[in-house]
Amino acid sequence: MKNLLKHAAAIAALSVLLSACGKSKQAATDESAAPAAAPAGKEQVVNVYNWSDYIDPEVIKGFEQATGIKVRYDVFDSNEVLETKLLTGNSGYDVVVPSAYFLQRQVQAGVFAPLDKSQLPGLANIDPDLAARAARHDPGNEHSVVYMWGTTGIGFDRAKVKAIMPDAPVDSWKLIFDPALLAKFKDCGVSMLDDPTDMVGTALLYLGKDPNSEAEADLKAAEDALMKIRPYIRTIHSSQYIDQLANGELCIVVGYSGDVLQARDRAEEAGKPLDIGYSIPKEGALMWFDTLAIPADAAHKDAAHKFIEYLLQPAVAAKNSDFVNYANANKAATPLVNADLRNDANIYPTPAVAARLQPSLAKSAEFTRALNRTWTRFVTGR
Amino acid sequence: MNQGRNLFRTLVLILGFAFLYIPIVSLIVYSFNSSRLVTVWGGFSTKWYGALLRNDQILNAAMLSLKVAAISATLAVVLGTLAGLVLARFGPFKGRTLLSGLTTAPLVMPEVITGLSLLLLFVTMEQIIGWPAGRGMTTIIISHITLTMAFVTVVVQSRLSQMDDSLEEAAMDLGARPHKVFFLITLPIIAPALMSGWLLAFTLSLDDLVITSFVAGPGSSTLPMVIFSKVRLGVSPDINALATILVAIVAIGVIVAGFTMSRQQKQRERDAQMALAANQQMIESVKKG
Repeated sequence: MKNLLKHAAAIAALSVLLSACGKSKQAATDESAAPAAAPAGKEQVVNVYNWSDYIDPEVIKGFEQATGIKVRYDVFDSNEVLETKLLTGNSGYDVVVPSAYFLQRQVQAGVFAPLDKSQLPGLANIDPDLAARAARHDPGNEHSVVYMWGTTGIGFDRAKVKAIMPDAPVDSWKLIFDPALLAKFKDCGVSMLDDPTDMVGTALLYLGKDPNSEAEADLKAAEDALMKIRPYIRTIHSSQYIDQLANGELCIVVGYSGDVLQARDRAEEAGKPLDIGYSIPKEGALMWFDTLAIPADAAHKDAAHKFIEYLLQPAVAAKNSDFVNYANANKAATPLVNADLRNDANIYPTPAVAARLQPSLAKSAEFTRALNRTWTRFVTGR
Repeated sequence: MNQGRNLFRTLVLILGFAFLYIPIVSLIVYSFNSSRLVTVWGGFSTKWYGALLRNDQILNAAMLSLKVAAISATLAVVLGTLAGLVLARFGPFKGRTLLSGLTTAPLVMPEVITGLSLLLLFVTMEQIIGWPAGRGMTTIIISHITLTMAFVTVVVQSRLSQMDDSLEEAAMDLGARPHKVFFLITLPIIAPALMSGWLLAFTLSLDDLVITSFVAGPGSSTLPMVIFSKVRLGVSPDINALATILVAIVAIGVIVAGFTMSRQQKQRERDAQMALAANQQMIESVKKG
């Protein structure tokens, strides 16, 4: 009995303690959450929502030191996650980084506030050619600034490809879409992005058609081309190939430029004697942009503009490019970027190559449905 | 024959444990791998533990996850115990089936639906009454309580229905008020269930990703969210180091809990025997007298 008493007392004390500590902690969060909702002016913060590993951490520290504005930095892993937050409204974020393809739809849905360009003198640094291309997603670049951009091309393990076929046309989509050619690399490992828009668009480029065509016949042609090579593809995934390529498990991938380079760096870091190459095929390739935008209901628009302006500084943009291995759209930053990166024609393409790049535009809802059906048939191989 | 069966049993045991623990063991082993690539063994190294200590993003997320898990588990135990008590002790009352259905619904509800509906609730509430202002730790805690309370309720309810009512009745016979009975008799007896309910709630909260990613706001990325967002570029080995530390903490916790519980069990048995002996003596003395 005495024992029971002791237990009861102990448990009661424990639960009181725990709930009290719970309450005090909750109160603490409420306080810390308050500045997020309070209008800018008191404690300056900016809430940034970006892709994971997509900024040099030094840059955030630099911004905080330069402006005294605290950065609360969160990361996401897919455009869909970001889109859910944005479309629900009141996401709490002040700067977000959607891909242009998604941005296009979100702009139409009225998710973003127009940029106050008078607060962004750094916009003058942006490459006008790239700005014009991005304007196909966001008319007049009213709502967004290009942060990084890249292409969807062919990544390959030089030694393995050479061993199988010394004169493999790594600079052409033929390598992927010619079934007779791709069949040779089946056992070596071929990977493709799990991205219907990009893959169908790429197939259309190979077929010499407009990659943004919404014509039924074109979609059918692309599906036929994809189906023919389906038996030779090992994985269809949008990120696994980075590690697999670095591990030497794959020969040829259709992937994003920066990710293939990431695989190369990772293999180097691990001391693997791999020579991983990337090429923008001569038939052309799709290009994508990740853009900076400010949600219409952002609480700290001034701080958000300051953050974007800071990212537009050539030295800062160069730092970020060095860190993430992607090209930025900042013309003034190009000379400051690490020479390896800057001189790599696959990251900073020559004007001749750049002319062959095409944007991947948002499609109508109707076409997207047809596209998804096509893609399901392709992935399941039926 | 007998030997064959023993061999079979041992084999099944080994296979069972292998199935459960090989993934964890390999994670621990690879946390000491000096190479960045998961499949390449680059020699023994503790450098990822050093890298972990310098990775503020992951450490902050881990801290937040632990805080959220501790607070929501505690509140879920309080609420879940109340619900379990009502369901197990208050007999048939109007709306009992409804209550039991509603409290256990989160058990079977797909998390996407729970997450989305909570998100919409929070957004609407903010528009109408201005609370919770923005999403963050508070909303995550509320959501996790919603999810984990159901589990605690089930655990507590089943423990209560196994418990002998006569103990409570005896206490009331001796003049204890209901709340006193609850704190002195019921609570200590169901304490193991509360403990396991708390641990269950803690674990569920710690690894919830789906609901959390719906209701999280700026500056409130939990550990699973951070890890998951890194999947795109491959998980870095410092996550292995963190997971190893967590496994160690959990293992110690489980061992300590198991030890205390078995000691309590023994103590109870001794108490019961002593009570029985005293009873016997009393009967005998009455007989003699």
